[in-house]
Amino acid sequence: MNPPGADKVSEMLSQGHWDQAVALLQQLDPAAAADAIMDLPFEEQRVLFRVMPVDFAALLIGHFPYYHSYVLLHTRSLESLRAIIGKMGPDQRAQFLDQLPGEAWKRVMDEISGEYSPANQGVDAAAADAAGAISHPIPAVEPILEAVQVEKSFRQPDGRLIQVIAPTDLSIEPDTITALLGPSGSGKSTLLRMLTGLIQPTKGLVLWHGKPLQDCAPNLAIVFQSFALFPWLTVLDNVETPLLARGMEHFERHHRALRALHTVGLEGFESAYPKELSGGMKQRVGIARALALEPEILFMDEPFSALDVLTAENLRGEVMELWLGKKIPTKSIFIVTHNIEEAALLADRILVLGRNPGRIRADFRIPLKQPRDRNSAEFLVYVDYIYKLMTQPDLDPALPSSAAHAVKTPYPMLPHARPGGIAGLLELLIDRGGKDDLFRVADELLLDVNDLLPITEAATLLGFARTEKGDVEITEKGREFSNADISTRKDLFREAALAHASLLQQIKTGLSSKSDGAMPLEFFRDILDEHFSEDETERQIQTALTWGRYGEIFSYDSATDRLSLHRLEHTGESEHDLQHQE
Amino acid sequence: MPQPTKTESGVPPWGVFPSAASSFLRDLPILLAGLAIFYGLLTFARYGVGPVNTQAEINLHPGALPKYAFFSVARIALAYILSLGFTLVYGYVAAYNAKAERIMVPLLDILQSIPVLSFLPPVMLAMIGLFPHSQLGAELGAIVLIMTGQVWNMTFSFYSSLKNIPREMHEAAEIYRLKWWQRLWQMELPYAAIGLIWNSIMSVAGAWFFLMACEMFVLGDRDLRLPGLGSYLQTAANAGDTRSIIWGLGTMVAIIVMIDQLIWRPTIAWAEKFKFEQVESAEPARSPILDLLRRSKLISAAARVTTKPAREALNLYFAKAGAKQSQHARSGMLSGWIWRVLMLVALVAIAYAVLGMGRMLVALSGAEIREILRGAGATFLRVEVTLVLAGLWTIPVGVYVGMRPNLSALVQPLAQIAASVPATALFPVVLLMLIRVGGGMGIGAMVLLLLGTQWYILFNVIAGSSAIPTDLKEVCGLFRLGKVERWKKLILPAIFPYLITGFITASGGAWNASIVAEYFHFQGKTMSTVGLGAVISRATDTGNFHVLLAATIVMAVMVVTLNRLIWRRLYGLASTKFKLET
Repeated sequence: MNPPGADKVSEMLSQGHWDQAVALLQQLDPAAAADAIMDLPFEEQRVLFRVMPVDFAALLIGHFPYYHSYVLLHTRSLESLRAIIGKMGPDQRAQFLDQLPGEAWKRVMDEISGEYSPANQGVDAAAADAAGAISHPIPAVEPILEAVQVEKSFRQPDGRLIQVIAPTDLSIEPDTITALLGPSGSGKSTLLRMLTGLIQPTKGLVLWHGKPLQDCAPNLAIVFQSFALFPWLTVLDNVETPLLARGMEHFERHHRALRALHTVGLEGFESAYPKELSGGMKQRVGIARALALEPEILFMDEPFSALDVLTAENLRGEVMELWLGKKIPTKSIFIVTHNIEEAALLADRILVLGRNPGRIRADFRIPLKQPRDRNSAEFLVYVDYIYKLMTQPDLDPALPSSAAHAVKTPYPMLPHARPGGIAGLLELLIDRGGKDDLFRVADELLLDVNDLLPITEAATLLGFARTEKGDVEITEKGREFSNADISTRKDLFREAALAHASLLQQIKTGLSSKSDGAMPLEFFRDILDEHFSEDETERQIQTALTWGRYGEIFSYDSATDRLSLHRLEHTGESEHDLQHQE
Repeated sequence: MPQPTKTESGVPPWGVFPSAASSFLRDLPILLAGLAIFYGLLTFARYGVGPVNTQAEINLHPGALPKYAFFSVARIALAYILSLGFTLVYGYVAAYNAKAERIMVPLLDILQSIPVLSFLPPVMLAMIGLFPHSQLGAELGAIVLIMTGQVWNMTFSFYSSLKNIPREMHEAAEIYRLKWWQRLWQMELPYAAIGLIWNSIMSVAGAWFFLMACEMFVLGDRDLRLPGLGSYLQTAANAGDTRSIIWGLGTMVAIIVMIDQLIWRPTIAWAEKFKFEQVESAEPARSPILDLLRRSKLISAAARVTTKPAREALNLYFAKAGAKQSQHARSGMLSGWIWRVLMLVALVAIAYAVLGMGRMLVALSGAEIREILRGAGATFLRVEVTLVLAGLWTIPVGVYVGMRPNLSALVQPLAQIAASVPATALFPVVLLMLIRVGGGMGIGAMVLLLLGTQWYILFNVIAGSSAIPTDLKEVCGLFRLGKVERWKKLILPAIFPYLITGFITASGGAWNASIVAEYFHFQGKTMSTVGLGAVISRATDTGNFHVLLAATIVMAVMVVTLNRLIWRRLYGLASTKFKLET
């Protein structure tokens, strides 16, 4: 039997109207409201409990079984846990505390008296688990922003739903630089856009100081990868634009904008137009525009990746200087990047995102002091660790094996590397004695991980190399490939690709089954569409074409969009093919 | 007329359409809707019978020319302002309301393919019906008619600019909470400015082309003429008064050159700052007039006390007023039942109109149907032959000029002046000459079409061939490619995208121009040849509405079909396979 209101509440939750659900529950008798909550799935209970006001939580908490009250209380921060227990009716509070078993009682008493600190939680957590309670440590401070089970799916044109971000919890705390690190296509941008409210999560909730994001006017700012400046406005007008949008009068607006420009070292450029500035200067304008708002959280979406290596290095250093010197008025920085070293240099805390669908694979702190020395042994240990995480996508250090069941076996992905790139890596490895640290290889090539990882992944997939603990080592096959002449290379490549790359196997089998040995590419595109987003499908197809053409497994005619086992006649068509390959 | 570059010409943004064949069936209802609107106006016109006193005596004395010129310029200016208003509203709604977009964009495509003069009877009679006792009706009719000739490409341009605003720029506007007013002035209008300006130039040139037809025509038993340059020229042609024709022509060219120098060139130079480029261009457009205005102390003082404070006050007003309103308000403008009611009303109206059209079309006699079909065939052939002829001379000449920078600096301005003379105004002169050498109206129509459309192709070919990279030319030299090989391998593929752009614009223009080209009042006689344009013109003259309707439908269907089956595909090919990427 359903308690009255439970259906309505769960319907509201499924539409994402958390605030309405709370309002409805507040109209019910507390006991009935508690019953209604108990009927919901636990994840929803947890979120609901988080978003409700302290007074209401205090009213309800006595109506749950004591063990459930204990768990729910610990979904909130320490401060609000104290507030809720403080506001409970005296009888209810006494009854609740009496019922708690010894260990749990001791912990709650510690928490109330302020002796509990997350530092010694390791000991306590075991005790709490024994009491059948919680596994998450309680955040000691109230996070500024918090994502609860956010999830994003996109509907394909044909109606299929592709999950880009699997349900994810995430919080941004004050006085922290958090880096979100992940390979391309892992949904970093999507996650950032959900956190900032630019796009709505399909499910789940983003909380800004405990309130749903869309109900607040959060004071946040984004620094964009492409700068996103208005080219027709002067530097000063660009910085003033968000201030004007908030209705700030001329004098104060001007003053604030000039101060922000001064902070980033752009005085003298107020009346310049963005196109007169270099890339690094443009990004300074982008940063000044964000800082002028004095945002609580400064989001940075790959802020340095459109800049050349030296400029990026310089600007990164300056941003850190401002942050460490408390010269910028923001409480927290959240930076999205694919550059491992950048993340390790800047961040207090790193979230590593895995792909297909995007999910947080690891969440750890880097306790090294700032400014960090990139040649110090400790620093290299961290960088190596992150490399290991990123080069072993199957390894899942964040999730215990029991939790992995939700993730269905993903369709094997082709790493987006060109045969020429693979050969280049192998040659470099031979020069280095057959084995080297990935981090050093990347450094040597002035590549960042986003460019190097697909190449090593491809070499590994083909059996030309193996990676282990951040090292990459050439195999016997790899040596053979590297030392061969061009036509033998093609043969070896074809052999390896057909043995290890399932998409190419699939194409080859498909083509062989046809009497004329030809099929439209569209057919394989459709198959991939079921597993990947539209963009990723296109990238998979492009890589498969490059590999297939290089290994002379099949030919492709772009005019008819058909794949064929037969070589093309040497007419005009094959010339176009050659053009396309570049 | 300054020369539009490839991306800024009047080609509709076909990238936004789904693929040609599949969308055609789906768009059929919208085609019907477009024709229904036209029919609605037409029916209204049939009942709008009232006393008309708009038969101004046209004075052929050259002293009357300034007055006439003023009237014409005023009409074109008013029509342009109306077009701009329509463009902003229609483009904005179509770009931001996804539901409306699905209908509004194809509808625009249909409306664009209805020849200007088919709007004449409904628009004119409707306006005279609204104001039966004053000059106002006829004047408004002429203005709206001019507007129907210039508005569609402007709307297309604005719409596609809005759709092309980079994603991160949109996100910056949203995250920094720009209200619609600030978005419009700081993001949307600046981004759309350049496309809008080039299309405005083309539109106003189009207005001059149809000025004669719009100011003076016979409609059933009514002989309407409004004082203006167009009617002056028409009257002079009717009287066979060569001296007056030359006076009128001279005045027209002088005005066109003046508008170009005083308005368009300064505007283009001013719009330099709206170029969406990251690096400053080497040769920005300049205008002495603009420099004059910019240096003027009077103007800057006036701006200081008028526009600047006004802009500030408006910006702050909208920033504060919009603060309470949620960001999602504008997409929800036409939501829920309002939308449904609107759709229902529209459906009923379409059904009624289709029924009415059916009744009207049933009245067609077999002879009339044969005449329309024969005319359609003849005009189709005439348009295509014209395009071939135009291509035959413009491609070699354009390539010759385009490959020689010195020569093209000399030829371009001359060609632009030649192109700026509206072909219709030259027509009487051409006819006079043709009659002298014994040619008939059949040749005359082709000459007029050629005069009106060849420039689009010529300018695009010059632009295309001057954009061929030097290294490719050097490769051809190095490999000693013969003349034929060079054309086949380099020149034709390189100019292909430009050529297609030119042909698309020329084809649209030619169909529209066929109405004035195939039927002409000259020296007191009516000269005509077989063709769909002639059928439409004659039906207008004699007030034969069912023939007018049938012929218009045939022309609209032919133009839309040709666009979808041929031009859009070629355009797709041009923007993928033959695109020269740098």
